Amino acid sequence: MAITPPNHAALGDQVELYVLDALTEPERRAFEAHLSTCEECRAQVDSLRPIVDSLGQIVPQHDPPAALRSRVLAAAAAPARAFEPPVARPRLVVHVVIPWLAAAAMLVVAVGSAIYATTLSSRVNALERRLAEAIARADVSDRQVAELRRTAASAQSQVAVLAAPDLLRIVLTGQPVAPRSSGRAFWSRSQGLMFTASNLPPLPTGRTYQVWVLTRQPAPIGAGVFKPDAAGRVAEWFATPADLPQPVGMAVTVEPDGGVPSPTGAMYLVGQ
Amino acid sequence: MWIFLSAAGGAGRLPRWTDDRESDQQALERMARGDADALADLYDRHAARVYSLAVRIVRDASDAEDVVQEVFAQAWRQASRYSASRGAVAAWLLTLARSRAIDRLRARRARPDQQVAETAATELPDLAPPVDWQYLSAEQIRLVRAALEQLPFLQRVAIELAYFDGLTHVEIAARLEEPLGTVKTRIRAALTKLRESLVGAV
Repeated sequence: MAITPPNHAALGDQVELYVLDALTEPERRAFEAHLSTCEECRAQVDSLRPIVDSLGQIVPQHDPPAALRSRVLAAAAAPARAFEPPVARPRLVVHVVIPWLAAAAMLVVAVGSAIYATTLSSRVNALERRLAEAIARADVSDRQVAELRRTAASAQSQVAVLAAPDLLRIVLTGQPVAPRSSGRAFWSRSQGLMFTASNLPPLPTGRTYQVWVLTRQPAPIGAGVFKPDAAGRVAEWFATPADLPQPVGMAVTVEPDGGVPSPTGAMYLVGQ
Repeated sequence: MWIFLSAAGGAGRLPRWTDDRESDQQALERMARGDADALADLYDRHAARVYSLAVRIVRDASDAEDVVQEVFAQAWRQASRYSASRGAVAAWLLTLARSRAIDRLRARRARPDQQVAETAATELPDLAPPVDWQYLSAEQIRLVRAALEQLPFLQRVAIELAYFDGLTHVEIAARLEEPLGTVKTRIRAALTKLRESLVGAV
């Protein structure tokens, strides 16, 4: 039987927020104090930690630029100067004492060749690792890889809208043809349009839902078409042109497959 | 590709993952003694992952480079204070990468109320990752991505805004114009579902 202190009832439901680092600073401090006395919450934290840790590893992988390696190592190789966090790009300061500069330059060359020798062996290690990873990936087919890339890219765009500083939110409500439906649209000029809805009625064959951006201009602007899943849900991201007039509302209609230049069908969702 | 594979087979020695954890610990010990070569070893093993996480969070290559530099600078400075009981070095580096990257986001957002959190994030994490921590395999990464994709959109958004954008649940609620309780419920449901779908996998 795990030990749970009296304040567990009040704080126990913050475990997930804590592990995800989503508590405010005062909440985090209070929860950590609780955690030090609560076995149940510690067990929860331990079981959730690997899930949250995994998020840091599922991002698309990029190779850092080669010059970055030299910058990182150069900073450590200068023992007299503390390895300061770079606030700005390093600037070259030219001193007037030229002989001192020449001595320093020779020192840099000496240290540099020593580092170079070990660098070579590290490079070989790094290459071997890449190879092992490539082999590990070989059981995933090219098609799956392409699919994963596409999914990852689209997933990134979806959330990027929500993180954008110029986020615009529009709540869409179901119209008489679909009173139980509801939707939300998130738009940012730089990140596009994220549209999500639930309880949409199933579409007849040959029909599609189409999203419209309402602006101060009389004609609605088509943003894209979608088909909801079997449960009537959708979460779709659409690119929007950078010169899109400022949206003042959104609407969703049912149209022939492929969509149409201007709306012809009944409105299912509208929001201002 | 196949040339590479057969060459590796011919060489007959593939890196063993367990070696990395020991090498990392040894690298930290050497760094604590001021050995810059050890930093190079550590960099070559982990820089790509640190950089990739930073790119995802700061969404800017130049800022991401600065984050990488800060992470390895911090590893260099704190090497002597790092002990094996702290858990895997790789996990620590990723934690530093996320903290430093989110510091940058917060500085960009420049909100005075987040000053405290920034300084707090600088220190070592209180809860050490387990010593047997290691990087996910390609298959595990596929599983986690798929599980995340399966979540209802607004649940996934809440998770990602917290982890990759460093927003608190209060800030997420404000951003989505939703009640606090809704966001908390979403995050709880999302993490519970992720855990269920990944039981035994991560």
